[in-house]
Amino acid sequence: MSEGDIVERVVRYIATEIVDDASSVEVEVVSDGEDSVVIEVRTAKRDMGRVIGRRGRVAKAIRTVAKAAGDEEGLDVQVEFLD
Amino acid sequence: MSDVRDEPAEDVDEGAGIEEQASVAKEFLEGLLGAFGLEGTVTTEIDGDILIVRVDGDQTEALVGQRGVIMSSVLELGRTVVQRKTFGAPRMRLDIAGYGERRRQALTIYAGNLAEKILADGGEVMLEPMNPADRKVVHDAVAEIDGVRSFSEGEDPNRSVVIAAE
Repeated sequence: MSEGDIVERVVRYIATEIVDDASSVEVEVVSDGEDSVVIEVRTAKRDMGRVIGRRGRVAKAIRTVAKAAGDEEGLDVQVEFLD
Repeated sequence: MSDVRDEPAEDVDEGAGIEEQASVAKEFLEGLLGAFGLEGTVTTEIDGDILIVRVDGDQTEALVGQRGVIMSSVLELGRTVVQRKTFGAPRMRLDIAGYGERRRQALTIYAGNLAEKILADGGEVMLEPMNPADRKVVHDAVAEIDGVRSFSEGEDPNRSVVIAAE
């Protein structure tokens, strides 16, 4: 198992559950620092609103849960949303 | 004429039945446990129009967080998923590893003690800002006691319950 596996799996799972177009979801671990990862989440343009949520609530919740997943692996996690 | 009332807001459920929402919520949480690689069980209960979801198992403590912050986020996500899949907006409560129940008990006792103090001394007390679920617990506890009332002030995330003499 490589670094960031749990975080990636968790973020991918949540994103695909939330969007309409699950096949367009891409989750990538873009930077592997010593103890930190940046997760890039891409969705179909029309799904961005769902992933961000009203006043950013969903995005905030995803970040919090992603950090919890990072804790399982001893990693700091940043999540970026792109379309 | 507008009907002004404090929380909780009435959620009008015009979507799928609560039974279906329960099964969607259960499935989402089981999948989340799987993604985390945590062992646990998910059960649902329907109490009137409230959907209660419980996640149990020692390892699921990892999804609680300080002051339940992770649990609140999981609830937010669960609600979002249920809404998307069933077009319904359930009132949903989530408890992970017994945290919610422990917190509910502690808050109920705390609110009761404050209410007794106000009954004795008068005046009002503003509590620390709380999330909607915690505020609901306080409102419910105060509603059980004659001579005091409660309401909320401020905007989330700094919305606070005020307990006052009636």
